[in-house]
Amino acid sequence: MSTDTFTTIVQTAFDAVAKGVNGQASGPMHLQRVAALNAFTKQGIPTTRHEEWKYTNVMPFIGLPFSSERHEGTTDPLTIDDISQSSSGLHEALEGGWTVAIINGRYEQNLSSVPQHVPGLTIEALTDELVATDSAVRTALGSLAPIDLHPFVAVNAALTHQGVVIRLDANITLERTIHIAIVNDVRQQDTLATPRILVLAGARSSVDIVESHHTIGSFTALDISVAECVLRPECAVRYTKIVDAVPNSTLKNISSIAASVEHGSRFTSFAVSLGASFVRNDLLVRLIEPASETYLYGASVLGGSEYADNHTVVDHAVHHCHSEELYKGLYDGSSIGVFNGKIFVRPQAQKTTAYQSNHTILLSDKAQVNAKPQLEIWADDVKCSHGATSGQLNEEAIFYLRSRGIDADKARALMTYAFVAEVLEHMDHDALRLHCEQRIATKLGAEPFAP
Amino acid sequence: MTPILQITDLTAGIEEREILKGITLTVNPGEVHAIMGPNGSGKSTLASVLAGRADYTVTGGTVSFMGKDLLDMAPEERAREGMFLAFQYPVEIPGVSTANFLKTSVNELRKHRGQEPLAPAAFLSLMRERMKLVEMDQSFLSRSLNDGFSGGEKKRNEIFQMAMLEPVLAVLDETDSGLDIDALRIVAGGVNALRSSSTATIVITHYQRLLDYIVPDVVHVLWNGRIVRSGGKELALELEKRGYDWIKAESAVEA
Ligand SMILES: Nc1ncnc2c1ncn2[C@@H]1O[C@H](COP(=O)(O)OP(=O)(O)O)[C@@H](O)[C@H]1O
Ligand SMILES: [Mg+2]
Repeated sequence: MSTDTFTTIVQTAFDAVAKGVNGQASGPMHLQRVAALNAFTKQGIPTTRHEEWKYTNVMPFIGLPFSSERHEGTTDPLTIDDISQSSSGLHEALEGGWTVAIINGRYEQNLSSVPQHVPGLTIEALTDELVATDSAVRTALGSLAPIDLHPFVAVNAALTHQGVVIRLDANITLERTIHIAIVNDVRQQDTLATPRILVLAGARSSVDIVESHHTIGSFTALDISVAECVLRPECAVRYTKIVDAVPNSTLKNISSIAASVEHGSRFTSFAVSLGASFVRNDLLVRLIEPASETYLYGASVLGGSEYADNHTVVDHAVHHCHSEELYKGLYDGSSIGVFNGKIFVRPQAQKTTAYQSNHTILLSDKAQVNAKPQLEIWADDVKCSHGATSGQLNEEAIFYLRSRGIDADKARALMTYAFVAEVLEHMDHDALRLHCEQRIATKLGAEPFAP
Repeated sequence: MTPILQITDLTAGIEEREILKGITLTVNPGEVHAIMGPNGSGKSTLASVLAGRADYTVTGGTVSFMGKDLLDMAPEERAREGMFLAFQYPVEIPGVSTANFLKTSVNELRKHRGQEPLAPAAFLSLMRERMKLVEMDQSFLSRSLNDGFSGGEKKRNEIFQMAMLEPVLAVLDETDSGLDIDALRIVAGGVNALRSSSTATIVITHYQRLLDYIVPDVVHVLWNGRIVRSGGKELALELEKRGYDWIKAESAVEA
């Protein structure tokens, strides 16, 4: 059975990692791996009978002969140029930003462009030694995205090795963008990679992080990533996750991003899914101290047989917090979109304001969307709302544009573009927004028209 | 002299229902025609048929626009040939900025006339100049098209677009409804500034009020899908005084 194959692959990969942990076999990180492997074995691979995985069918690819070993020497070593080319222009668009390269799940300092001494910023490999010696890292790792969150988080935690820790000291505002380029080198074989990212943002710090996933080569990439972000008081983290692989990329990305937000801090997330055959995003934001807030935005533009699934959870654990969520999807061909948005308002979370909306346009009869808002509110003095729409293009608006001399095809492209561009209007990062607008416009055959 | 618009025995409707029951109308260069009539007479239907809205089916008659068969053209071709409809209910389009939309629109029309696209600087200064005409604030340019605009702002935006596109025939569908007297004066001022001996305007309105500012050459009364009476600008004043009932009564007798 394909699931047995995958279980064996995970076990083999685990054994290979275990062999390399010299001296840290009883260290906290490896103990975590062992626990994670057990958690994975216990949970098994989710099937579509599982409520949270109802539409996320991993069966078509889970039985592939994935390998997590890289065989150096048989293919040319990757260069920064290769990474740039695989990023569909994102790398150039973030010119002036610092690249953190993660190749097949491992942080590669020599392909990264972060200078050695930036005051207040540390970027280093997430090693067993670091976890053993650094209590901040040890405390945070696995606490936001625990191994029982879902089986693939467990797979990531069982195999994690050479992830990356990004640490911002208190009061540091980083002008440059940190671009985490997650590259799957699939020139030789089907590959399983488990990138792991830990962001520790100090009090009153501010940073833009862009996480992108790409492939180089034509074998299948199974990219199971986990990122955890700890936001100390009064800081701002803008975290954008982009999947926009080159045409015909075989990327299968199962991503989990989790954040905990302390007093007065703001976590802003963008999930942009443009090109990849399979994307599953789990985003989990916990507002754990009063006056914290989160803004979650998503834009999926799919065609062909692409699949993008956004599962979001906003957990209002305390009083006086604010959350806003806007996800939009545009589905053509026989693509499938999923949106599942949970908002929890705990009994003590009075004076919560939480808003969610999800809008979809289906451009073809064969495209599908499954949207499910799920608000669970246990406090009484709160303002919460959700709205969801699914429909076709507004024909009245198309007629309006045509009556001004714009032909029907262009009017349609413009309308579809505008529908998604509305999400991007919330992006403060100009270069990133322009890039995303341009990419979406290109995918739709429109010109960017955003205000 | 070729008329700008020549409508002959036009009948049109929606699904099974006939709304326009035989309209004949000639509009010559330099003229302003007013079309008045009670709600539900078919005024907007006529405007929509002229602009090419697909919901309506033309079942008979002809429409020639500058000597060409208008009904044969797609809505965008009509616009490129110089037809402009100021919508009774302008559509809100979030995500599309007014400025970028107009740039596309203006350049589509220029392309049709064999002209180069306007350079960004020239476009910008043209926009500034034409916005002044309708006293619209610059900030509208960067906002999404009609998105969150007040009723009056939407109507002014229609006239601004008209000023940018310089149509041969402008059809204003109740551009005056919902406007206060100041806004009305501004809108009318914009329309008057654009009048010329080679263009024409059809003003669809409910009230005589707008016609104090845009003085028509001919006034038509549309009722129950037909033009039941045409006259000079005095007809509008008479309608203002006497209402529509006497016309309804007379045409019912005739019919
Ligand atoms: N899209 C439509 N669907 C159904 N009936 C319509 C539609 N448009 C117009 N009508 C009907 O046609 C008649 C004329 O409407 P309209 O042209 O809007 O009149 P006016 O602009 O003079 O008020 C009305 O009875 C109206 O209900
Ligand atoms: Mg009307």
